[in-house]
Amino acid sequence: MPTARFTVNGQPVSVEVENRRLLVEVLRDDLQLTGTHVGCDTSQCGCCTVLIDGRPAKACATLAVSVEGRAVSTIEGLKGADGGLHPVQQAFVECHGLQCGFCTPGMVMSACALLASNPTPSDDEIVHALEGNLCRCTGYVNIVESVRRAAGAGR
Amino acid sequence: MSAAPPVAARFGSGHSVRRIEDPTLVSGTGRYVDDVSIAGQLHVVLLRSPHAHARIASIDASAARAMPGVVAVYTGADLKAGGVSPLPTPCPFPRPDGTPSKSAPMWPLAVDTVRFVGEGVAAIVAETRDAARDARDAVVVDYEDLPAVVTIEGALAQGAPLVWPEAGDNWVAKAAHGDAAKAADAFAKAAHVVALDLVNQRLAAVAMEPRGVLAYPDADTGKLTLRLSSQMPSGARDTIAAALGLKKDDARVVVGDVGGGFGMKTGAYQEDVVVGFCAKALGRPVKWAAERGDEFLAGRPGRDIVSRAELALDAQGRVLALRVRTDANVGAYATTTAVAIQLLIGPWVATSIYDIPVIDFDLRAVMTHTAPLGAYRGAGRPEAIYVIERLMDAAARRMKLDPAELRLRNMIRPEQMPYRNPMAQTYDTGNFPSIARQGLALADWDGFPARAAASKARGKLRGLGLATFLEWTGGNQFEERVTVDVSADGFIEIYTATQAMGQGIATSYAQLAVDVFGVPIERVRIVQGDTDRGQGFGSAGSRSLFTGGSAVRVASQRTVDEAKALAADALEASVKDIEYAAGSFSIVGTDRRIDLFELAGRQPAKRLYVDSTSSVSGATWPNGCHVCEVEVDPDTGEVEVVSYASVNDVGRVVNPMIVVGQLDGGAVQGLGQALCERIVYDPESGQLLTGTLSDYALPRADLVRRFRTELDQSVPSINNPLGVKGVGELGTIGATPCAVNAVVDALVRAGVPAGRAEAMQMPLLPETVWRALHGA
Repeated sequence: MPTARFTVNGQPVSVEVENRRLLVEVLRDDLQLTGTHVGCDTSQCGCCTVLIDGRPAKACATLAVSVEGRAVSTIEGLKGADGGLHPVQQAFVECHGLQCGFCTPGMVMSACALLASNPTPSDDEIVHALEGNLCRCTGYVNIVESVRRAAGAGR
Repeated sequence: MSAAPPVAARFGSGHSVRRIEDPTLVSGTGRYVDDVSIAGQLHVVLLRSPHAHARIASIDASAARAMPGVVAVYTGADLKAGGVSPLPTPCPFPRPDGTPSKSAPMWPLAVDTVRFVGEGVAAIVAETRDAARDARDAVVVDYEDLPAVVTIEGALAQGAPLVWPEAGDNWVAKAAHGDAAKAADAFAKAAHVVALDLVNQRLAAVAMEPRGVLAYPDADTGKLTLRLSSQMPSGARDTIAAALGLKKDDARVVVGDVGGGFGMKTGAYQEDVVVGFCAKALGRPVKWAAERGDEFLAGRPGRDIVSRAELALDAQGRVLALRVRTDANVGAYATTTAVAIQLLIGPWVATSIYDIPVIDFDLRAVMTHTAPLGAYRGAGRPEAIYVIERLMDAAARRMKLDPAELRLRNMIRPEQMPYRNPMAQTYDTGNFPSIARQGLALADWDGFPARAAASKARGKLRGLGLATFLEWTGGNQFEERVTVDVSADGFIEIYTATQAMGQGIATSYAQLAVDVFGVPIERVRIVQGDTDRGQGFGSAGSRSLFTGGSAVRVASQRTVDEAKALAADALEASVKDIEYAAGSFSIVGTDRRIDLFELAGRQPAKRLYVDSTSSVSGATWPNGCHVCEVEVDPDTGEVEVVSYASVNDVGRVVNPMIVVGQLDGGAVQGLGQALCERIVYDPESGQLLTGTLSDYALPRADLVRRFRTELDQSVPSINNPLGVKGVGELGTIGATPCAVNAVVDALVRAGVPAGRAEAMQMPLLPETVWRALHGA
């Protein structure tokens, strides 16, 4: 069985995986990082969004062997400067940007990727960056507001 | 030195306290059903029927059983032989011929016959999910394909294939309400009559977390525990236990974080019983995690009715009578929930906030070879409110009246409260004209022509849509049991059998506890989701806050009252001299006091424990005025929601942030029905054509950019001690009709004949709108 070596949240990991295994399965089942959620089976919902080398990717549509040598970041790796919540997470709390919370890790990771590449996004840019993430609870307005708030906090 | 403000002034009810649920959920450390695993657990996947209707001639699982990692394969026959019973399909309504309601028995796995695409046929249990999936492909089922009926029309046609031959036809049930003769008189003498054919299409709830089950037997006690993603743990437990032949107390349902429910996670599902059976039979933990495809195929959808609706009005626009003929497609197996939603619950609010003297409703439920229906956010009320609000707009158009003016002329006046509607439902409070006027003002109703002109200058057709409405909440289950446990370690733990699914129950209940106890909110822990700790109806029908929250208030007060006697003993004073404030008991007029938690520590059990059951006195009737503006692109038919304003009466508000979140999020679901969502089956083969999120269009972040949402707290409910009204479904109910009314309005203003614009059916996809615009 092939071995995949990569880092998750800065920590090196080495896992034996069948070629067909998905990154999200390895994260959830092998590494017990259950913050990355699975909301669909067609890479539509974005609940499984993680960062691979800083870019957002759907872990349900990524083969684990394909991240060999790369850096994977998940919701569990986010931290604020004081060790508490990351500013994006904090903004979601402050703006009521989550209800059931199931889509939230993916939303937060997509927002982090956006703000890393574009620290002062317009509303259109925020909406565009979230088009691969579905939420059924909030109606999105507070999620967009959360990203806006986080962008402001980072200025 | 001034005293710090009491905590109740900052964290009690009425304040937008940040949710205590959130730090866990934003960190990815929530515990949704598939996040929990038990060492040695097996995995189960279901083989589902590829046919809408077929006889199962044989199932050969021998090759699958021989595959690596496979532990067992079970069929419907195996479950039946193992003592499993069908899930209940009773229904209190008679059929049109007066005989009792009929439905095929809903076996957890199909026995002999499959009746919808996606019905479970076999369960494959293996050491890993991949092994189970691989083995699923090796199960050979010999089906004898049979003709299927998919649509209501098809089901009622002469000689239609029968879903349940013992019924003799495809009728499930029928209900008639009102007075047909009086209605006929009213229509005969009416100055104006409007009639519309309206479809409320089938919708999927699409909670982002798919369902799942982790079942494990306790070797010592024989008790079967099931972790579920459920809104109604107790009801699920009772149904699962009955189907498995267990006593209720021999099953336990545990619920962790729930990733959305919206009504579809209310009852027990076939898979719950299947997984419970596997765990019991194998004596090992067994897990099933639904994939999204499982949810589209077999998660219970909602709506799916067709209505012919007519309104009779006098010359001044006063409604004389409402006549509705509705047929509901309840799928292959008739659940009580699905039938009651359309035959009873929807009709309760069909006359809405209007003083309509006469009704004539004839409502029928029909079986088809499609997935069985259940509850979806609003459950009957969105359908009914859609019907009356579409009729109101059509009537105003015929009479050349402002649609707001026509509605105001018909509204129940505050002095008519309490008001008993023609369905014998009594509205306790409400000031509908006031809410409507506030909503119209917030939306700048009168300023619309200028905005329409500006849109026109940009090449867009602008439309204005209104919905003024109410809804019924509570499931008619008003009693709740709450336990309060004040422990010496400084925490107040409150257990409730209502169930969070994202609505922020823990925060709202904690605020109510802070109101009574006056301790910091961090001292309060709200615990839910364990049938061994308490049972109740659960969370559905927007009932949690007004029933469960009221029970928390009562239980908290009982705790303080009972503790006063203990404090009196501790302080060697008379009970009547003891007062309680901000976490401590004191003797009035002295500085002698004892802390609440210290008092708990002095008790023999090192705690104060109160088991409290209380009831509210009736349903609540939240209501609102929602105004939507759209722009239609005449070249493409695309609809853009450019403005959404609402004023809502949900009684007193515990947490405004949470309440507005419920309204806005709910509204987007309602807009989804209006503009993009629908479940589609191939009408001939019964194949599901919307089986993924690529085919079923959910609203995305670009649908609405801004809500203006206001709350009027001046009209509290008098049916519960908090004065609150349910809020979970209100936004969904209002959004659908006001958005559709706006699109119809845009087209009519653009010169499209009213009949053609009004004939559009949801969802108002670009093609639908374009065809109406261009007569194509």
